Amino acid sequence: MKLWCAALNRPWSWHWIAYPGVWVMVALPTIWYLVKVHRHGGVDRRSRAAFLAAMGIFWVSSDWPVGTLGAGYLDWVHMLQYLLYVLAIAPLLLLGTPEWMARQTLDRLHLLGAYRWLSRHLLVSGVIFNIVLLATHSPIGVDTLRSSQLGSFAMDMSWLASGIVLWAPIVNPIEELRTQSFALKMVYLFLSAGVVPIVPASALTFAHYPLYSTYELAPRVGRLTALEDQQLAGIVMKLGMVPVIWGAIGVMFFRWAAQERAR
Amino acid sequence: MLLIAGVVALLTAACAAAGTDTTSASGFDGTVLDPPEPKPEFVLTDTQGNPFDFQADTQGDLTLLYFGYTYCPDICPVQLAQIAAALDKLPDVERHTKVVFVTVDPERDTPKVIRSFLDKFDTNFIGLRGTIEEVEAAQRAAGVSVAAKIGEGDDYSMAHAAQVIAYAPDGFAYTQYPYGTRQTQWVHDLPLVLDRTDS
Repeated sequence: MKLWCAALNRPWSWHWIAYPGVWVMVALPTIWYLVKVHRHGGVDRRSRAAFLAAMGIFWVSSDWPVGTLGAGYLDWVHMLQYLLYVLAIAPLLLLGTPEWMARQTLDRLHLLGAYRWLSRHLLVSGVIFNIVLLATHSPIGVDTLRSSQLGSFAMDMSWLASGIVLWAPIVNPIEELRTQSFALKMVYLFLSAGVVPIVPASALTFAHYPLYSTYELAPRVGRLTALEDQQLAGIVMKLGMVPVIWGAIGVMFFRWAAQERAR
Repeated sequence: MLLIAGVVALLTAACAAAGTDTTSASGFDGTVLDPPEPKPEFVLTDTQGNPFDFQADTQGDLTLLYFGYTYCPDICPVQLAQIAAALDKLPDVERHTKVVFVTVDPERDTPKVIRSFLDKFDTNFIGLRGTIEEVEAAQRAAGVSVAAKIGEGDDYSMAHAAQVIAYAPDGFAYTQYPYGTRQTQWVHDLPLVLDRTDS
């Protein structure tokens, strides 16, 4: 039985594969959230929608067929998964978590202190995000981790964790841990997610050879060659981040402007 | 700036790791054949219906010989795609190279099917077929294990040798390339095989 998507080393087929590990990872947090919210007397509709959207996207991007294709067949799907984890699931989870739940959970896990420290040290958050980005997109990282279910799971979870680290200073459910300065937030997001990722994205786009043996030696899906698939992955990474990161920076800019006008 | 420098350094290290040097003392990345194996003699039929004398019709060329079948779901398409990608990067080598694909499944692989299959990779790839006995004799002559049918009915598969044998222009194979050979390894070795003329 397969619990999590990893490279299969066999021809791609549209025959459905069950990954119970993914279902558990989707069902347990969702049930836990809904029960907690119910016991607490509810949560606003927007937060609930954000959390459920996060779990829905998590399911789609981790389960068959997206998860299977990304884990062992197509580099550009792997990249799409990364963007979904980091740019959609992570911020939606933060937006969907009410403050009382975040405090309670982090306190019980004895993580509140570390989380508070991290949320206030933007440079550290940016460095952590980019270290995970590089490690999980280095050839040795991809080829090692994607070859096993455990490795693949670790890769996906590290993406999610790095996404939460990235967004925590901006959309932190705990009000006092949010970075207050709009200018600082904009610069932080630009440098962390708008500049450095261009380096690996360019490496993928302009490399003369496929970098990952996982995707180079996988039976082809569709008509893309291994190198074209890699180039597409680079483009997905480069262009996929632009609307989200610049969109977020734009929103912050207009809020900042509105705040200044109101003074 | 420090962060960007770190990123560049890590990425460079990662890329270097991807192209890990697997070159043996012989200078080849492929599996070295010691002693070198002479080019086998066999005559089969190409996709135009003409006889193809493997030894005579590839004389003086770098020749890559591969036994596979067009219904192969994984190994054959990957091996051929890797060779095609490598030759695309080596136009000077490509001019002196013949890629010969011999089907081990002549029942299903008609000349038209073989041609259509090979054209997906490179229209210059040569496809050969013969009777089952002729193809088995060719495999024995090349020193590879003889392919075996697995399963019954129309949906059978073939267990076959996965390596590509590379014959230098002098008519000897110094190396062969198993499934899993990367494009960087092909690009590294093909010019060396082309220049290797001292048996």
